[in-house]
Amino acid sequence: MKKKWTMFACAAMAAVMGSALFVSCGGNRNYAENNEKFYIGASGPLTGGAAVYGKAVQNGAQLAVEEINAAGGLDGKQFEFVMMDDGNDDTRVNSNYASLYEKGMQVSLGCVTTKPCLAFKQLAEEDNLFFLTPSATGDDVVGGGNAYQMCFSDSGQGTAAAEYVKENVTESTIGIFYKSDDPYSNGIYQNFISALGENSGFTFVETNFTDDTNADFSSQINRLKDCKFIFMPIYTEPASLFMMQANGIISDDAIYFGCDGFDGIESAFTTTPISEIPQEISYLSHFDATAESGAAKEFIDSYTEKYGKDTLNQFGAAAYDCVYAIYEAMANAVSDEKEIPVNISPSDLCDILKETFQKEDFTFDGVTGTGIYWSEDGTVNKNPVKYIVKEKNSAA
Amino acid sequence: MLDFITTFINGLNLGGIYALIALGYTMVYGIAKMLNFAHGDIIMVGGYTIMVFFSMTGLPVVGVLCAIPLCVVVGIVIEKVAYKPLRGASPLAVLITAIGVSYLLQSLAQMIFGPGQQMVELGDMGTISLGSLKIKVETIVTLLAATLIMVCLTLFVHKTKAGKAMLAVAEDRDAARLMGINVNAIITLTFAIGSALAAVAGVFYILGSPAVYPTLGALPGIRAFTAAVIGGIGSIPGAMVGGLLLGIIECICGAVPALSQYTIAVEFALLIVILLVKPSGILGKKKREKV
Repeated sequence: MKKKWTMFACAAMAAVMGSALFVSCGGNRNYAENNEKFYIGASGPLTGGAAVYGKAVQNGAQLAVEEINAAGGLDGKQFEFVMMDDGNDDTRVNSNYASLYEKGMQVSLGCVTTKPCLAFKQLAEEDNLFFLTPSATGDDVVGGGNAYQMCFSDSGQGTAAAEYVKENVTESTIGIFYKSDDPYSNGIYQNFISALGENSGFTFVETNFTDDTNADFSSQINRLKDCKFIFMPIYTEPASLFMMQANGIISDDAIYFGCDGFDGIESAFTTTPISEIPQEISYLSHFDATAESGAAKEFIDSYTEKYGKDTLNQFGAAAYDCVYAIYEAMANAVSDEKEIPVNISPSDLCDILKETFQKEDFTFDGVTGTGIYWSEDGTVNKNPVKYIVKEKNSAA
Repeated sequence: MLDFITTFINGLNLGGIYALIALGYTMVYGIAKMLNFAHGDIIMVGGYTIMVFFSMTGLPVVGVLCAIPLCVVVGIVIEKVAYKPLRGASPLAVLITAIGVSYLLQSLAQMIFGPGQQMVELGDMGTISLGSLKIKVETIVTLLAATLIMVCLTLFVHKTKAGKAMLAVAEDRDAARLMGINVNAIITLTFAIGSALAAVAGVFYILGSPAVYPTLGALPGIRAFTAAVIGGIGSIPGAMVGGLLLGIIECICGAVPALSQYTIAVEFALLIVILLVKPSGILGKKKREKV
């Protein structure tokens, strides 16, 4: 008898918990129907160690919104951009998302960094909310149909680097130095090699290291000593160590070419300034912060005039492009005689944007590239550029 | 062929550093009969000392000159505080204490200097070029200095009174005490010499790979311990042979892309083979073991 009661209690409890679960699954209510402007939301680190990236995204997006509004918005309808601070902590994304969504967010830039963006993606997928992230490079950030990237994805960087090499590198021998037990580095390396293919005309000198052999690179340096172009898809700490050890062995007019792992490499050189490395140090990017002409130059000028030079980087440029890409997609849909009222629901807008982003002839020209288009999985296709951290000393 | 010569010389250089560290392991084991796993972290202490004094004065020599005495002091303090009370305790208790000291040093470094990597560029000595053979001057200096130190150490152990006392303690501690040798003083001396060698190894290590971080000593420490075992733990020439062997293997593996991700595996495979063929190591003496 007692057992029966327990079972009943269990069943009752399960029912209560189930309904609680059901209610929470229903999620937050969106009040977009009261909107007087199109509401673009985002979450990113505005405090903490990664704040410089979050600030850049906030400034870049804000700049784009102000420009669009000043030019009349979308048929007179204005935009509003709101970014909330997640401190690069994925556990804060839930409440940020809920708060933005309740305030009537209709479209989003997602998050600035990969881990929080994965949390964001889950929520956005449930609500069918469209987002285009300027800078979360993780491979899993996209997919699901409503998630798009403006930056190269981690593995896309290998392919992009290969494209860059094919177009721009005249040396026939390419040195490669990668970390074989690191998925980021190894992944880029594999994609790089397979994208260049066997009949690319290049010969490769491949070297690698692991966590257990990350201090003495003399053997690898010796093998690479005749290479003039060395591809290094690794992070700044081993890279800076490699460059110091290679000083005097590898030719002074060689080029060290990295991926986004090189971002901030200047600060890895603490006692010796980076200027003492004679070789050129550069990395694959989609934005040239030293551009002298074109759309990038215009962006740099208006950005620095408004926010100064401190946070001028590819994050801000990508965010600026994200806002414009969303705006242009909306304008494109309107010209296709689609209705986009200012109080459109996030889900309806998402369907329109998805369709537009996948249209055969929809391409976007921005600060971070021209003729940009998106694959079905949400990854971006554009021309990579080389961002030079430091020129060769002999050239200077 | 030229590549092989360069790789071989780089290997000797790295091996010399491992040999210096391995000497500390093997002497402490031979004389105090304990495995001092905190030995590798003395290298890290030396590295940070160099960094601090070098950045204060801008003179690499000052950093090096401060690192050696400081490491000796740290070595002696560790011995007095952590190991001496355990003399006569079970070897397992001493082993665990040594591992604890190792973590203590690493955590202290992390608290003081943070977990990240910091660069210590002691100055570029230039490169020697012979045709397409390019070797860094640092490599040659390390190689010569390591050889010199090993010769001096061998002479010290075999020719001086203190050295002979060390051999006596290693042979039979009780008999040595009966002969009027101050065993505690000899053990302290051993720790002091071992720590000084680790500091010197630290200098050379940073000369080749100019970065310090809290776990800097862990990997060279493990490699040097392996070297000491391969050479025959307790044997001074054995530590040198083992160290050089591991250094050369590491560099050769690094030069062959297909092998370089299996460097550690190759090294430990060698350890297994040698222990199978000669259980007491290449130059180790055969005797009943009681670890």
